[in-house]
Amino acid sequence: MSAQIDRGVLARILWRSFFFQAANNYERMQNVGFAYCIQPALERLYTGDDLQRAYERHLDFFNSHAYMTDALLGAVVKLEEDVAAGRTSPEQVRAFKATMMGPLAAIGDSFFWASLKPFAAALAVAGIFSGVPWAPIVFLLLYNLFHLGLRAYGLSAGYASGERVFEKICRIDLVQFSDRSHYLAGICLGVASATLLDTTLHGPFALGQGLEFVVLVGLVLILFQSLKRKLDMPWLLYGFSALTLSFVVGLNTFFPLFR
Amino acid sequence: MTHSLAVDLGAITLLGALLALDRRAAFQLMLSQPLVVIPLVGLLLGCLPESIWLAAIVQLLWMASLTVGASVPPNETLASVVIGGIALLHARYFDGLDRATEALAVLVGAPVSLVGRWLDVRLDKENAHLAARADRAVAERDYATLSRLPLVGLMRTFVADGALVALSLIVGLALLVNLRPTPGGPVYEALGTVGTYILPALGIAVALTTLRRRRALALAGASFVLTFVGLLWLGRSE
Repeated sequence: MSAQIDRGVLARILWRSFFFQAANNYERMQNVGFAYCIQPALERLYTGDDLQRAYERHLDFFNSHAYMTDALLGAVVKLEEDVAAGRTSPEQVRAFKATMMGPLAAIGDSFFWASLKPFAAALAVAGIFSGVPWAPIVFLLLYNLFHLGLRAYGLSAGYASGERVFEKICRIDLVQFSDRSHYLAGICLGVASATLLDTTLHGPFALGQGLEFVVLVGLVLILFQSLKRKLDMPWLLYGFSALTLSFVVGLNTFFPLFR
Repeated sequence: MTHSLAVDLGAITLLGALLALDRRAAFQLMLSQPLVVIPLVGLLLGCLPESIWLAAIVQLLWMASLTVGASVPPNETLASVVIGGIALLHARYFDGLDRATEALAVLVGAPVSLVGRWLDVRLDKENAHLAARADRAVAERDYATLSRLPLVGLMRTFVADGALVALSLIVGLALLVNLRPTPGGPVYEALGTVGTYILPALGIAVALTTLRRRRALALAGASFVLTFVGLLWLGRSE
């Protein structure tokens, strides 16, 4: 760690990165957030015209995954240190950011949004249906263990390895984690469905004679296929609710089903 | 009672506007997920146990709502604040909470997710001014202004989401109280059926669409059969 960029500066960048998307905009996406996050390092490294030019290059278009940006911030701070020392050019910083934001966003989207979040949520839902009321706390702990861990590690690894940050991130093998949590999400959803069915069998609206099994499994399959055919959830929600209301009210009028 | 209802509406609005910040503008600790939002509303109103089941169902319904890339999905946070808020306010001040009331609360509150998405797009468009102000601040070497811009963005989101939550809670609660049918009648039974079968089935179906691999779907099917058979064997099911 250089004399200029100490742990205090990195800690301030980490804190600011939690507000990275606060000024998100359609023109240049997260550019204001990126400049805001890196501000403590720039003010430590530059003064006068150099500082102004440094700010200008960090107000360029920027769009990446919020959690993965910490790794990029660390690497860019390292690069800015090299620019301040005359070891590299400012254009290298621009090029590095433009090159890295896409791949890091892809890793973040695939791991956090497409795998970890569904897994943690499915686990908590299965817990709730099984009678574990504190399951939402498990969801928060599990998710944030990876979220906060990767943010802190990313910033530190990014600063330590500079332009080689992508290799460091790849070494964690988030793709394999992604695959595993995806499969675990599937298992949890299966458990959640079975416990839900079990609860329905004993609920006040049970149909009796094993009809719940047929109704629930049949509904899930029909709705799943409808969603796969690009029908939106709200349409299905209102459509199937209207059908059920008409069917049950009509049936109840002629053949009283519920007592 | 009226005074307490007004205070509770204000408290839910404040909580909802704060939690909405977590969705994208600040932290992203997942406090904005329905699984957490609805129990927090329940905790605020002193009816935490009643909130848990609804939280799981609403979470499943919006499980596929992911902010991937520059896409703006329906706002599940605002929807869950309103759905949880009106359902639990009904439980506390009116006539309890059952599957029929939960179903009606979801049907009344679901459109808020789409209005929330429209509001998110508007806020992002309005934030173009912040990018322009950042350029001006740097040109004038007024770097303190630059460090205040994210706070301005946070305040805009807080105020806009808070206003939407407050309005939706008032309208939603009025609709819920007036539309809820008398228990025992055919419409009540039909809403109970929606709450017992349609909402969970749709939720599970939505959650299954987040599994992009066939093997994960096969695992879901296998674990469903094994768990159900296990529950039968344990004698919990008939």
